[in-house]
Amino acid sequence: MSRSFTWHQVEPKDWRDKIGESRNAGFTFFDFLTGVDRENVEGNQMCEVVVHLAKADLSESHFISTQVLNELPSITDLIPAAQWHERECAEMFGVQFNGGNAKPLLRHENLGRPPLLKSTVLAARVLTPWPGGAEPEIKEDGRKVGNASRRRQRPPGVPENWLKP
Amino acid sequence: MTRYALTVDPNVSVEVVSASLACCTLELQAALNSGSLIQVSESDTGPCVIVIAGTVTDALVPSVIELIHAYPGAKVMSFGACATSGGPYWDSPPVSKGIDQFVEVAAYVAGCPPRPDAFIQAIQELSSKRAS
Amino acid sequence: MKHSFIALIEDKCTSCMLCVRECPAWCISLDSHTIDVTEEGARRPRKVNVLDSFEIDYSLCMYCGVCIDVCPFDALAWDEHRALVTTNREDMLLGIEELGPSGSS
Repeated sequence: MSRSFTWHQVEPKDWRDKIGESRNAGFTFFDFLTGVDRENVEGNQMCEVVVHLAKADLSESHFISTQVLNELPSITDLIPAAQWHERECAEMFGVQFNGGNAKPLLRHENLGRPPLLKSTVLAARVLTPWPGGAEPEIKEDGRKVGNASRRRQRPPGVPENWLKP
Repeated sequence: MTRYALTVDPNVSVEVVSASLACCTLELQAALNSGSLIQVSESDTGPCVIVIAGTVTDALVPSVIELIHAYPGAKVMSFGACATSGGPYWDSPPVSKGIDQFVEVAAYVAGCPPRPDAFIQAIQELSSKRAS
Repeated sequence: MKHSFIALIEDKCTSCMLCVRECPAWCISLDSHTIDVTEEGARRPRKVNVLDSFEIDYSLCMYCGVCIDVCPFDALAWDEHRALVTTNREDMLLGIEELGPSGSS
C-alpha cells in the first residue's frame, strides 16, 4: 500500500481551522500531538507543535505544525483524543492550550521548568565532573601534566550555554 | 510477603517483601520462581528482606520509607542500579540518587537489571550474615 | 556467554578514553600518563600512554555494552557470570585488579 505524507505549516491563528478542515476532509485518525523545541527563531524562544492526522486506512497523512511562543488554542473540542497529548505537551514544553484541560498529567505541580526544553538544565550533568575530560596528559579537573595541547572536550548532552554561569 | 528457603539449604529461610517499582521486578520474579528458592511455611523464623527493585522517584520516597518502617528489623536490599544510585536515570531531576540516602541498606546488587542468580547470591549473603 | 560483567584486559588498553567518553552513565574513569619510548633505529622517541588506573562504578553501570562496542582494541569484554553483591556501596567501584577477566587471577 502506498502512503502519502504532506506537511502543512500554519500560523497559530489558523491552527484550529486547518485541523478542522483536515478532519472534515476525512483525516479522522488522530495519531499524536507533540512539541519540538526550536529554541532561537529570530530571537524568540519558539516551540513547534505538530499534529499527525491520517485517513482511517492510513493511505494519506497530514502533519500540521505551527510555531508558538507559549500558548495555542486547544483542539480538544474538534478531536477529544488530543487532550492527553495536549496535557503532556503543556507539561513537557510549557505550551499552554487555551480551552483545554489544564490539569497536570504526569508531573507534580510546581516541579521546576518543563523538562523537555533544551534550556532546562540537567543539574547533575553540569555538576558531576565528566570523567571523559581527562587525557593522558590532562587530569580530570583540567590540570595539564606535561605538554598537552589538545582542546578540552565538552561532555555529551551538555550544551555550551549550560556551562555559562 | 512470602517466606522462601534456599533449595540447596532449606534451613536458611527469608521473608521476602518486594517493593516492585520498575522493570527490575521482572528479574526478581524470575529469581523467586527459578527453582533455586522454595516456598516454605510462614511460621518459620528467619530474617526479613525488603527488596527495593526499581527506580525510586523523589515522590515515592515517603512511601518507600513507610514500607520499610512497617517491617522493623528487616534488611533492605538495593536491587539494581536504579535503587542503588539512580542508574540510567542518574541525571534525571525527579529520580532519587540511591536509597541509601534515606535508609540503611544491607546489600547492594549490581546490574541493570541484576540476573536472577545475583538475587540468590544476595539472599545467601544476607542469611549467612545473620548466623555469624 | 552471560552478559553479567564487563572485564578489562589491561594489556590491550591504550588509554584512548573512548569508552569513558561514550559511557552514557559516566561510570568509567581512567587515569594515564605518557612516556617516551626510544626504539633502536628510530629517529625520534615514540610517545606511549601508560594506564595508571581504570575504574568502573558498578552502582551506576547499566550493562549496555557501549564501552565494549567502541573499544578499538578489544580491551573490554563481556565476562562469565560474576554477580556483584556488596554490603557497601563503595565496594562497587572496581579497579584494574578486580576487573580482570575471570580465569586470569
